[in-house]
Amino acid sequence: MPERLANGLKDRRTEIGLTQAELAERVGVTRKTVNTVENGVFTPSATLAIKLAQALGISVEQLFWIER
Amino acid sequence: MNGRSVSERADFLSRRRARILPALAIIYLTQQASYITIRSGPAHRAVDEVKISAWLVLSAVLLTAIATNGFWFQPREVRSMIDDELTRANRNDAMRLGFIFAMLTCIVVYFITMFEPVNGRDAVHIVMSDGLGAALIRWGWLERFAHRDA
Repeated sequence: MPERLANGLKDRRTEIGLTQAELAERVGVTRKTVNTVENGVFTPSATLAIKLAQALGISVEQLFWIER
Repeated sequence: MNGRSVSERADFLSRRRARILPALAIIYLTQQASYITIRSGPAHRAVDEVKISAWLVLSAVLLTAIATNGFWFQPREVRSMIDDELTRANRNDAMRLGFIFAMLTCIVVYFITMFEPVNGRDAVHIVMSDGLGAALIRWGWLERFAHRDA
């Protein structure tokens, strides 16, 4: 079975009350990028993953994990 | 910036581009009909050369837009945000597909020349139009897909 990078971006974002646009503004990307990462369509670079984790106040490992 | 934040402005422009790209691809590819009509016609007039030159100018503009992300007259911070990680990935994917299409077209044109002569200008026109057209359509599709549900 192929590996997939799953994430808890949407759960964490809604938990702290941020919209996609607000999160996008914080990490310096457009809303579509946040949207595609949330949906698992786009795999972010390490740099963006760290920025997203920092903006959401959790570690990268808590935000992203590999699903088998 | 009309009361909008950089992020909102970038998002607005990105959405607009996603809508415009397929239309641009259609306009660009339908121009080929005009070229074929001119080239297959009996004699070339000066106005025909202008039409062909218009295709060349449009090709150069579109190629530059794909290669540099466009939005040349926007502030640096807006341009930088529009050309974020996903957009760069989409552009690279589009350019990759455009290159493959151009190379496949080269193979087809080469094959045709075994049976019928194709002059250099026509060959360049066909290869460039196919490559650029494919890249535009791919980029437009990827951008629209990325904006879906956003």
